[in-house]
Amino acid sequence: MELRFENITKNYKSKKVLKGISLTMGTGVYGLLGPNGAGKTTMIRILADVLRPTKGRVLYDGTDIRAVGDEYRAKIGYLPQDVSFYGSFTGRDYLEYSAALKGMETAHAKKRIEELSRSVGLWDDLKRKCTAYSGGMQRRLGIAQALLDDPEILILDEPTSGLDPYERIKFRNIISAYAKDRLVLLSTHIVSDVEQIASHIMMMEHGTIQHIYTSGEYIHMMEGRVWLVEMSPEQLMDYQNQTVISNVRTKDGRMEVRVIEETKPASGAVQAIPTLEDAYLYHFNYLPEKSRR
Amino acid sequence: MSLFRFELRKLLLNKRTLLLLMCLLVLYSVVGLTSTVFLIGGNDSYLAYEELAIAWEGPFDSEKAAKAEKIYQEVSARYGTDARMIARSVKDQPEIILAVNYHAYAERVEEYWNGTPPESAEEPYGIALLQAKITELERQGKRDTTACRKLSTSLQRLKELGEPEFANALLWENLFNNWGEHMMQFLLFVPLAFVIAPVFAVERSSGMDNLVLSSRNGRRKIVTAKLLSVLVASTVVVVLYLTATFIFGFLPHGSFHGWDAAIQSIATYARSMFQWKVWQLAAVGAVWLIFTGAVYSLVICFISSRMKSQMGTVGIGLAVLFVNVGLAAMGDTVAQRLGALVDFGLANVTLAKEVFGGYKVFHVLNMNVSYPVMAILVLAAIAAAAAFGIYRGQKSRTIA
Repeated sequence: MELRFENITKNYKSKKVLKGISLTMGTGVYGLLGPNGAGKTTMIRILADVLRPTKGRVLYDGTDIRAVGDEYRAKIGYLPQDVSFYGSFTGRDYLEYSAALKGMETAHAKKRIEELSRSVGLWDDLKRKCTAYSGGMQRRLGIAQALLDDPEILILDEPTSGLDPYERIKFRNIISAYAKDRLVLLSTHIVSDVEQIASHIMMMEHGTIQHIYTSGEYIHMMEGRVWLVEMSPEQLMDYQNQTVISNVRTKDGRMEVRVIEETKPASGAVQAIPTLEDAYLYHFNYLPEKSRR
Repeated sequence: MSLFRFELRKLLLNKRTLLLLMCLLVLYSVVGLTSTVFLIGGNDSYLAYEELAIAWEGPFDSEKAAKAEKIYQEVSARYGTDARMIARSVKDQPEIILAVNYHAYAERVEEYWNGTPPESAEEPYGIALLQAKITELERQGKRDTTACRKLSTSLQRLKELGEPEFANALLWENLFNNWGEHMMQFLLFVPLAFVIAPVFAVERSSGMDNLVLSSRNGRRKIVTAKLLSVLVASTVVVVLYLTATFIFGFLPHGSFHGWDAAIQSIATYARSMFQWKVWQLAAVGAVWLIFTGAVYSLVICFISSRMKSQMGTVGIGLAVLFVNVGLAAMGDTVAQRLGALVDFGLANVTLAKEVFGGYKVFHVLNMNVSYPVMAILVLAAIAAAAAFGIYRGQKSRTIA
């Protein structure tokens, strides 16, 4: 199975949100990382066929998804950024309605609803109104909905927002177990969501995909660029406007600052083991004075 | 899993709509009840009227007509010439109401023979008038023209129907008023707009569009499910209106007298060319309201598919209705100028008395087509266009 973006452009009036994106995805988990406003949601929506590109096309195994139509949509599971509900629906209604929209057989749907609601920890709450759920519960219900029909392509837009740490770990485990022989596209700005499970990570900014590498490749690229520097709080005030800082912690009354820099930033600086978060900050060059986010 | 079941639940079988339906049931029952109560005094008055009327029912009787004319002259000098006003003013005097009604019937008999005045803008009606017009056209050598054929058909139908007979169909007349006056459009079509408006708009306002549009059945089957649920919801509302006004229209007097009389005995259907009994007209009228309600609901459904907000949908839906009612109320001169716009606008075409109460004929593709047939064709075309537009819109719909 292959999904290909061919020169996808999306404009909202004069604003160019996506600028000629071309890429190919096969099976595996794809993490889409980028700051707010990078165009992640627009790209996801085009893939989910709820938004049409201004130019270009998305091909599923070589055929335009618009030509594949219902059969393409039958293969996708989509969790939108904002999960919404009809006011009168209970959790069970929502999942049953989703199953009806996906054209699932009743018996199969009931079995899947039970499996998934247990898996996301909502089995005991299915009789409650969706609108009475907490943000995290609504998110988990949305995840169950996306997985309902065992989709070949799973599209998740900010799936972990509102989830507590335990729920996030659980979510990652569900996706990891699920992803075999399937395509999962996971858009987020939380680096740790994709660090563990994504086979490919796409970094997106200003409507273009800047880089596509594995997590290991990003980390490898950062070797020799992450430093730990000790300094006083006063020094930090000056320093933080000049370079990219990925972490600060207090150690014996002084500050230990994690700095991303091409060269050794200070005489006492020592090299640190890089992480994907360092790579994210490095590639998007998060300098405070740029004030773009 | 059935999408239709869910769509029906979203549209109709939910607390909000069921509560609205309960309120409507009360309102419609009150409408049915008050219209009957104001028709004639208490049950005793009605029973007395019914008893008196039995002796007066049947073919035209000039003696009875003379007696009725005398009473009418006296009473109209006091209360004016409007029959309904007179009835309300003397509602405890059934013999006067009967005389007034017989007087109106006598006028209809006169009209049957001698017809509408030649200068009238109405459709030609009456044996003598039609014969005179046909003779005139034949003299001009226009025997084979459409106009002449139309008049000949009218004349033939009128002769077949024969002179109208007097019958007591007071309660039925009241029922047909409830089902066929402009007030009905406000009582029925306004709530219908509120009930149907969320059908598509709720998805946009709730954000459920994402889920719907990205799913296998979210582009076509859902439209079918929604259209079916709209038709069911509209039928339920209309049936609620029909049932409540029917039950509470007859309940106070416990009588269905006049159910098998010819419809020409009812003033608003005096010129009808249909050889129907009153009960048959009631059945046709009910079906007609269900049909026109469904068409209006499909129009609302189409508007909903293009709108983000439910209230916006209701607003436009009501504007369409009110514009049509306004056009229909502008009088004969404007109505004649606007022609089809008034005839097939939602105001006139939803009223059974307009469609089935006369003999309007349209000349289409060199054929004479009666108003009911044309109305069915036009309404079916509107419904089909709305459904087609909804399917097309959903196919290309995006969330942006």
